[in-house]
Amino acid sequence: MGRYIVRRLLWMIPMLFIVSVITFAFAHAVPGGPFNREKPLPAEIIANLEKYYGLDQPVWKQYVDWFGGIVTRLDFGPVYSSRSRRVNDIFADHLPVSAQLGILATLIAVGIGMPLGILAALKQNTFWDYLGMAGAIFGVSVPNIVLGPLMILIFALTLGWLPVAGWGTPAQMIMPALALGTGSAAVIARLTRASMLQVIREDYIRTARAKGLGERIVMVRHALKNALIPVATILGPMFAALITGTFIVELIFAIPGMGKYFITSITNRDYPVVMGAFMVWAVALILANIAVDITYAFLDPRIRFD
Amino acid sequence: MFGKKFAVVALVLAAIMVITSCQPAEKLAKELNWNLGTEPPTLDPALATDTTSVLLDEQLFLGLTDFDDTTEANVVPEIATEWSVSGDGLTWTFKMRKDIWWVHYDPASKKFEKKRLVTAHDVEYGAKRTINPETASDYAYVSYIIKNAEAVNTGESTDLDSIGVKAVDDYTVDFTLEQPAGYFPAIASMWVNRPVPHEPIEQYGDLWTEPGNIWSNGPYALDTWEHENRMVMVKNPHFYNAKNVSIEQINFVMVTETSTAFAMYENGELDVAAVPLEDMDRVKADPVLSKELTIAPRLCTYYYGFDTSEFPVDNVKVRQALSYAIDRQKLVDTVLKGGQIPAWSFACKGIFGQVADNPDFPGITFNVDTAKSLLAEAGYADGAGFPDTTLMFNTSEGHQKIAEFIQGQWKEHLGIDIKLANQEWGVYLSTLTEDPPAIWRLGWCADYPDQNNWVHEVFSTKGANRPNWTGPEADAFGALTEAAAAAKDPDERKKLYFEAEKLLCVDNSVIIPIYYYTTVRVDKPYLERTDQLVGGQHFDVWKVKAH
Repeated sequence: MGRYIVRRLLWMIPMLFIVSVITFAFAHAVPGGPFNREKPLPAEIIANLEKYYGLDQPVWKQYVDWFGGIVTRLDFGPVYSSRSRRVNDIFADHLPVSAQLGILATLIAVGIGMPLGILAALKQNTFWDYLGMAGAIFGVSVPNIVLGPLMILIFALTLGWLPVAGWGTPAQMIMPALALGTGSAAVIARLTRASMLQVIREDYIRTARAKGLGERIVMVRHALKNALIPVATILGPMFAALITGTFIVELIFAIPGMGKYFITSITNRDYPVVMGAFMVWAVALILANIAVDITYAFLDPRIRFD
Repeated sequence: MFGKKFAVVALVLAAIMVITSCQPAEKLAKELNWNLGTEPPTLDPALATDTTSVLLDEQLFLGLTDFDDTTEANVVPEIATEWSVSGDGLTWTFKMRKDIWWVHYDPASKKFEKKRLVTAHDVEYGAKRTINPETASDYAYVSYIIKNAEAVNTGESTDLDSIGVKAVDDYTVDFTLEQPAGYFPAIASMWVNRPVPHEPIEQYGDLWTEPGNIWSNGPYALDTWEHENRMVMVKNPHFYNAKNVSIEQINFVMVTETSTAFAMYENGELDVAAVPLEDMDRVKADPVLSKELTIAPRLCTYYYGFDTSEFPVDNVKVRQALSYAIDRQKLVDTVLKGGQIPAWSFACKGIFGQVADNPDFPGITFNVDTAKSLLAEAGYADGAGFPDTTLMFNTSEGHQKIAEFIQGQWKEHLGIDIKLANQEWGVYLSTLTEDPPAIWRLGWCADYPDQNNWVHEVFSTKGANRPNWTGPEADAFGALTEAAAAAKDPDERKKLYFEAEKLLCVDNSVIIPIYYYTTVRVDKPYLERTDQLVGGQHFDVWKVKAH
C-alpha cells in the first residue's frame, strides 16, 4: 500500500507538468492581453508594463521562468491586476476560506445525503422513500444561484437571523455552506439509494443473513460498506471542486474565496493567476482521487493494491 | 449654613448648565458602512486607474488641488494654497500648506505616529515616480504634458532630473510643461501627481501600501485590508482639518453582486447601495425606499462608434441617418429606467467645455424624417439595398438589451437589418484594434473633468484612432483639440471644443452618443452626504446621524 501511494504521488509530477503546459498554451492562445483597456494605452506604456512583468520575453522563456519559479522558489508569479500581491498571496488569503467552506459543504452533503439515501433504500417505495427522493430532486434541480438569494430573503431579510453576506463569523458561514452543500447532498442521496438497492440484492447479503447475522450488522458492515464505493468515487472530484472555490456561491454571499479567480483571471488575461488557480485545482483533484482509490481498499476487501 | 446649601445648589445648577450646553445639537454616529463593489487593485496613487482605487486614494493622499462637490466639479485648493502660471503659459507654480503631516498608523497598537511634514520634494518625487518607466504606471501618459515626461517614460531619455517638475523650496513646486495647458490645475489634482513618501516605498517596495507599512497624509489612515473581503480606515487625528471630520471609521466591504449589496442595505449592513435594475420598479413603488432613492449624474457617456473606413458607414449620410433614427428617450424609459440623459455630444455635463446642455449646440436628436431622407440621399431609400452591417459589443446582458432596442429602432424607422454580434471583453478590445466592426460600442468616464480628457485623449487621430477617421475634417478636429488644450482663455477653449464636438458628433458623425450615465442609489436617511463626481467621495465632510 505504501509503495502504491508513493507511486501515485510520483505520477503527479508528469501529470502536473502536462497540465501546466496545456493551461499555459490555452491562456496565451486566447486573443487579447492583460493590458487591453477601454481607452487604449499608448504602445510605450504597454511596453513598460510588459517589461515590468517579463512579457516582452519569448513565450517559451516566459513558461520556463514561470515554471522555474515554482520549482525553485515555490513562487507562482505576479498578479497583473494588483501590484502589491503575488499569486502565492492569493493562495494564502483565499484557499483557506474556500477550503473551510468546502469542508463544511462536504460535511453537509455527506451528513444529509447519505442517511437520506440509506433511509430511502431501506424503506423502498414507502412514504419515507418518496419524501427523501422528493427532497433530493428539489436539491438537484434548484441551483444555488436561486437557493442563495432565496435563503438571504428568508433568513436574513425576513427573519433577521443571519447576516446577508460576508465572511469571518460562524453566522456568516451557515447560508453559503448550506447553499453549496444541498446540491451535492441530493446527488449523494440518490446515488446512495441506488447503490444500496443494488447491493442488498447481492448473494453475499443473502449469505450474511443466512449465517444468522443480525439485520443491523448485515446492513452496516456488509451492505453499506459496499454501497459506498460509487459514492466515494464521486465524492473525490466533488470535494476537490468544493474546496478550491465555487464561483456563484462566493459571488452571492461575497465570500473571499478562490472561486472568483478562476473566472476573473481569465477575463483579465492574468496569466499567472489562471495557471496558478488551475494548478491548485489539478493538485486537489489528483490528491482527492488518490484518497478515493485508497478508501476502495477499505470498503471492498476484493480490491487490493500491490 | 444656608449660604453653604445655596452654594451647593448653585454649583449643581451651574454644572448642569455647562454639561447641557456642551452637548452637540445632534447626536452623531462614528462609522460609515460602504461597499466598494470589488477588491481594490491598488492603493498606490501612481498605479491607480480605476474608480475604486481612486476613491480610496482620495481618503489617504491629498492632491495639490481637488474638485469641489458641485455638479461643476470646480478645481479648488487642497495642499496648494494658491497657484499661478507664467506669461508663456508653460510654468505652473504651486504654493503649499505647511501643516500637512505624513503619518504612520500601526494597526496592532492602534497608534498614530507623526513622521514628518509633507513638502514640495514629496510632490516632485511622486510625479517623477509615476513617469519613471520602472514604475510601469498605466496612467503615466496623463503626465506627458509635463516637460520631458514622455521622453523619460518611453525610455528615450534616462535623465529623471530633466522632467519638468521641481521643488523650488520646501513648500513651492514648479511644473514646466511641453506646451501651454489651461487644464493643468485639474491634472495637478490627479492621483498620479500626488506627493508620496519615499521612505516606506524604498523600504517595502510594492508592499508599501499594506496596513502597517503605509504612510499617508489624508483624512483617514489604513487599518485593515483583508483582500476580497473588507477594509477599514480610521480617522487621522493629525489631518490638518481633523476637527471637522465627523466620521471616525469607515468599514468597506467588497461585495460584487449588486443584489447582495442591496439586500445588505435593506438589512442595515450598508449605508449606501446601488439599486439593481431588477429592483428599480419595487424601489420606486416602496414608500420608504423611494424616499431614499437618488438619481445623480455621473461623468460618463455611452456611445456607439463607427469604423469610418468600412462600407457602408464610410458614408457620412449613413452615419447621420443611423444617429437620427434612435429614440434615446424611449431607450431610457423602457430599457435603462435609471433616469439616464439622452446624449448628443461626447462629453457630458460637468466637463469643462462640454456642450451637453448647451441649447445652441446643433446636436443630433431623434428625428425619423431627417433620418429617412439622409438614408435616401445615401442611396438606400427605405433601406432598400442596404448591405450587411454588424454592430458589435462586449458580452453583457445590459449591452445586449440596448443593442436589441437600437437594432429595432433602425428596423422600424429606416427599414434596415443590422446584425448584432458580441465578444468577451478582452477579445472584443483586441478586435477593436485589429479589425473593428462597422459599428461598435464603448463608454467613457472622466479621469479629470476637462474636454482634453475626452475629445482629445479618446479621439485624437494620432492615438489609437478606433474610428479610422482620416481626411481634412479629421485633421481639422485634431487641430481644434490641440489648440483648445494650449489656449489660455477659458472662453476661447470652450469655443474650440464646441467646434470639435460638432465635427465629431454631428458634421462627421464619427460616433453616435447614446446617453449620459447616472448613478442610481439609495442612501440611508441618517446619512448627510455630498456627491463628488470625479476623483472619489469626500467622506471627511460627511456625517452619519445617530440611528
